[in-house]
Amino acid sequence: MTMKRDLPETTDPGALLQLRQLGISYGTGSSGERHWILRDLNLDVRDGEFLTIMGSSGTGKSTLLNLVAQTLQPSAGQIAFRGKVVGGADMPADPGSGRQIGYVTQDDNLLPWRTIWDNVIFPLTLAGKPSASEVERARRVIDQVGLTQWKKHYPHQLSGGMRKRASLARTLAYGPPVVLMDEPFGALDAETRAQLQADLLDLWASEKKTILFVTHDINEAIALGDRIVVLSGSPGRVVLERTIDIARPRDPELVFKAPTFAGHYDAVRSCLRAASQP
Amino acid sequence: MWIDRIALACVTLAAWEAIGRFRGSYWISSPTLVVERIWILAFNGDLWFHGRFTLAEAFGGFLLGAIPGCAVAMGLRSHPFVRAAFLGVASIGYAVPKTALVPLFILWLGVGPAAKVALVAAAIFFIVFYSTLNGVDAVDQKLLSSARVFGASEWQLLRHVVWPAVVPYMFGGLRVAVPYAIAGAIVGEIISSNRGLGYLAQFGASDFDTTLVFVSLVTVMLIVLSVSAALSRVQQRLLRWQTGSSQDPHAGAA
Repeated sequence: MTMKRDLPETTDPGALLQLRQLGISYGTGSSGERHWILRDLNLDVRDGEFLTIMGSSGTGKSTLLNLVAQTLQPSAGQIAFRGKVVGGADMPADPGSGRQIGYVTQDDNLLPWRTIWDNVIFPLTLAGKPSASEVERARRVIDQVGLTQWKKHYPHQLSGGMRKRASLARTLAYGPPVVLMDEPFGALDAETRAQLQADLLDLWASEKKTILFVTHDINEAIALGDRIVVLSGSPGRVVLERTIDIARPRDPELVFKAPTFAGHYDAVRSCLRAASQP
Repeated sequence: MWIDRIALACVTLAAWEAIGRFRGSYWISSPTLVVERIWILAFNGDLWFHGRFTLAEAFGGFLLGAIPGCAVAMGLRSHPFVRAAFLGVASIGYAVPKTALVPLFILWLGVGPAAKVALVAAAIFFIVFYSTLNGVDAVDQKLLSSARVFGASEWQLLRHVVWPAVVPYMFGGLRVAVPYAIAGAIVGEIISSNRGLGYLAQFGASDFDTTLVFVSLVTVMLIVLSVSAALSRVQQRLLRWQTGSSQDPHAGAA
């Protein structure tokens, strides 16, 4: 059912994920009036890149991730993965196809009736009995996020930060090359958030994932990302792309000491300011 | 707390006994007479003879109502048009007093146990159907979407996300349904039967044997209480994942 087609214009041969003229709209065709949330969005994401996505609220940041995760049907454009078109306006959205995408949402979305271990192993069981190496990987990521002693507990017995860790472990155990994260640390206290940011950078470095990370916190975007993309306008599109040249490994809490930090911060902030003005 | 309940029960029983002793037990019998008669009927096998008919009718009707009720509510999840049509018909079916259907059931199925089973099933179906439907509607869409991204098929969504989320609601329906199941069987027996606890009560009343009426009432009460207790044990076992001691269906979703 997946049509194997090459993307007509491949600008970046190293790109893992390519979005071309991607758009989504809602509204009925009868009045001829369609409201576009995102339109003509072009974006290339390199293999192993940590991309942070910003934008004032309502510019379609979460919608963009939903399009990439294929939980929403695009109205225009194409999505290509490793040069092959996997989604677009002319094919039905098929979430979970090919096990390429992991999605960590704002809510932890753990199944409340499963223990932490059963939650982490859940995506692996959907494709049949998990192999020994998959079980081993699940055990390793649970250990990496520090939840080994909590494996047999139910989600409601854990704190918000721990549930977030469990949710992250579940996605990493699933083993997708691309991980989408939608303000995953937004609802956490500052200390927990800093700890999780540092852990995430460690995991990213060791697991070699490609991450698309939505946040509304400029500090977080600079501290984590290789590149920041700012979405703006209605319909939303990319108004700023900025490479963050701060050396790694980074300490998210001390990243503001980097000499180029202020420049990045001001550029992103002025872009967001301009976007929020009518 | 238990002391209060026991004290209240003792006072009530004592008052009943006193009235029976001093004003005559013809109309209201008395606890000692009832216990005595239960003892006799339990030993000569009459209670078990009648009780098992009522139990079998209630249990059979319960299964015949609850299983389709639950299955239909789950099945309608992904078919909005069928669902709208079915809900329209169901609201009519729900509005009809089930006891009014007894003559029809007797006409179709005869005076035997089958008509009682049908009556119970008709009552239970709607209770379980509507409570399960509430559960299906309350399934967290984000959980569904997240499972889809992990590649879950429709069947896997139903099995691993919808079904566990529905169970607390379904149990809410089942617990309400237990007394209705017994009541349905009893009503069926009172209307037309020559066996069962409903028949026993009816027979006692027509014979001016007040004690016999109370014997069947007490037996029915004990059956309902023990079945409800068993169900709530199963529920606690199945719903260990819910927060604290609360068995509120909403607690798990929070």
